[in-house]
Amino acid sequence: MPEIISLNQISKTYERKIALSSLSFSVNKGESIALIGPSGAGKTTLLNIMASILTPDEGEIFIDGSPLSDFKDQRKRAKKIGVIRQQFDLVGELPVIHNVLAGRLSDWGVFKSLLSFLIPQDKQYAVKALERVGLMDKLYDRTSILSGGEQQRVALARLLVQNPEIILADEPVASLDPARAEDILDLLANIAVEEKQTLMASLHSVEYAKKYFDRIIALKNGEIFFDLPAASVTDAHIASLYKLKEQA
Amino acid sequence: MTVRKRRKITFVTASVYALLLLAAASWLSIFSFEKASLTTLFSEQNLLHTGKFFKGLFGIGEENPAFFSKESWENAFNLTVETLIMSVMATGFATIAAFLTVVPAARNVADGSLTLAKKWHGWISFGIIRGGYIFSRAVPELVWAMIIIFIFKPGILPGAIALALHNFGILGKLCAEVIEDLETRPVRNLASSGASRVQILLYGVLPAALPRFLTYILYRWEVIMRTTIVVGFVGAGGLGQQFKLSMSFFHYTDITLLLVFYLILVFAADFISEKARYLIK
Amino acid sequence: MDKSWFTFDLHKRKILTMILLLVFILSLFSVEWNSNLIHSGGFETAKQIFVALFQPDLSTDILLLAVEASWSTLSYATAGMSLAIFIAFIFGIPASGVLAENAKTKRIMRSFFRGHLGFMRAIHELVWAWLFVASIGLSPFAAIFALAIPYGGILGRIFADMLEDVPREPILALEAAGASRLQTLWYGYLPMVRTSIISYAMYRFECAVRSSAIMSFVGIGGLGYQIHLSLDDLHYNEVWTFVFFLIFLVIIIDAWSNQLRKRLVR
Repeated sequence: MPEIISLNQISKTYERKIALSSLSFSVNKGESIALIGPSGAGKTTLLNIMASILTPDEGEIFIDGSPLSDFKDQRKRAKKIGVIRQQFDLVGELPVIHNVLAGRLSDWGVFKSLLSFLIPQDKQYAVKALERVGLMDKLYDRTSILSGGEQQRVALARLLVQNPEIILADEPVASLDPARAEDILDLLANIAVEEKQTLMASLHSVEYAKKYFDRIIALKNGEIFFDLPAASVTDAHIASLYKLKEQA
Repeated sequence: MTVRKRRKITFVTASVYALLLLAAASWLSIFSFEKASLTTLFSEQNLLHTGKFFKGLFGIGEENPAFFSKESWENAFNLTVETLIMSVMATGFATIAAFLTVVPAARNVADGSLTLAKKWHGWISFGIIRGGYIFSRAVPELVWAMIIIFIFKPGILPGAIALALHNFGILGKLCAEVIEDLETRPVRNLASSGASRVQILLYGVLPAALPRFLTYILYRWEVIMRTTIVVGFVGAGGLGQQFKLSMSFFHYTDITLLLVFYLILVFAADFISEKARYLIK
Repeated sequence: MDKSWFTFDLHKRKILTMILLLVFILSLFSVEWNSNLIHSGGFETAKQIFVALFQPDLSTDILLLAVEASWSTLSYATAGMSLAIFIAFIFGIPASGVLAENAKTKRIMRSFFRGHLGFMRAIHELVWAWLFVASIGLSPFAAIFALAIPYGGILGRIFADMLEDVPREPILALEAAGASRLQTLWYGYLPMVRTSIISYAMYRFECAVRSSAIMSFVGIGGLGYQIHLSLDDLHYNEVWTFVFFLIFLVIIIDAWSNQLRKRLVR
């Protein structure tokens, strides 16, 4: 499997607090990785740097062999990298179909996006994606009236339409109850496998990380604590990761 | 924190004292320097005058009051329609001008936090537009109308422009605040799925802000409707212009008729705007 | 419910927007768009007015006059507002219906007083001013009453709304403790709405200054009167001086009321 992401000595500091210190690892195409670790370990910072929302103080990131700065153009980047966070990322006032079709915006010009308000364009993409996440009947509902789990499915549908090579998921199930959370993670993992996408998600729950991902990277205090295949992560590893103080 | 609390109390109490002082000084200066007195106000002569005026309004003792003249009714009706058109035009002009300027006037657009794109001229255009808003709304409609009437011939257009000039600043400020209060996450997420600036505006900002924009536009329309009569006083058309003419010719029953039509217009505008706002909720 | 692209609920905002746009476009047809709209030499005048904007008259005479006029404007606004607050209390408390003994008197009181408040604020302050000048003659009181009535109307309406929105629990607790109607008003309702009513009155104070400035139009002194005189004499430079004083006054009041409100809300 070819390498798709490679991080080289990434550091980021917020006014005296070190968020990430010299982080390096690489990811192969098609891998699914869970980022775990205590709050403040730097998971969100890392994902935001990879999504070009933040810039690192030091270090480089390579996507498919070329540096991340080559993807300054949002349209070009959207083809490579897709982001999913909590469900608050959707435009609540729009009907579901427009939120899903927003994944096509990088392919549309201004005129087509304007026209789409009146007559939804490329509707078949939205229909297919919503069928995939099981929300076909909500096509024309206003997004804000959907439940949290349904909204997250809409976000997944948008990601399906956008179809990036890499999916970055920042706490995608943080505000959902356990049954819905498993449901969404299951969908997310399946989609990534079927579409041959590389998936990287930060999670609070170690249990989910082991159940739905191949590889687990644990962060603590901005450094990699361990980086192991999911199957070989033991309870001892986890216990020492979440221990409040080392040698306490 | 105690220090903070003490400062808060001092500012508020100082303001209250300053306001009371201001009120006292105002009344004092009105009574002493301008020699206004309530006794002369209620003098016999004044009472007689007032009585005559109100009798005049109701057409008591008048030969042919305007209420019984078909012509007056028709005239008043036409002026009402004209006034209505003026208010709609004014609202439209103000809205267009505010929409064209509102995006750079939002603080979170100027510092680039909303769209994740920072431009060097962000703060410059922000300052210029916000300054323009302040200027435009600090000058009352009537003063705008007095100036505009020097350029345009009397009619509803100068009235609409004067009303629009004042309301442009108000609408602009209100709408910019709506954009500043927007939830940023959906907009940023659109940016990360590859939307351009125009597309972000169309799909992220507009759907979330439009209902509140509409509410403000309708609300300003009510206020504009109430003010149409005022710009008419300086010759900017509509009911106000006729009101002034009737006043100068002492046609008091005409005034009553005009006021009745004016009130109907104001209440109708309130009703329509309330229903429309309820609809978009 | 069968959902489709054609449901009204999905498009009601768009439909409303379209209707408003259409009404606006239709209104444009009522004006004959030709050069007849502008005075001959109108453009020349516009240019002169615009140029004068950057050269306001700053001679001592004019500045002194402007300060004096600003004080008149401010004092009428303050006096009018103090009277308006008084009116708002007298009408607002019965209009909220919180003093009423039973549902029927409450309904009657509400509609009676709310109707009065609605009438007071429906007529623009300048129209009131004109009516007052016509009946009691040119006097500062004409301006003050003309300001106090519509502002009392709007303040009273808002005041009544605020009283009605007061949470019920503290009031019920007071009643359970044996408080009379008047006591619940004094110890329950009024303290609870105090900060909101002050901040709203402060917001209206700024508007009152602007309204007070235009009272001049019916012959009452102040900044607007000076603007009017200078315009009649075609002294555009003086016009802008007075306008700048008005803007300054409005900005000061605006900043003050913003600061006060920020601290009150916290």
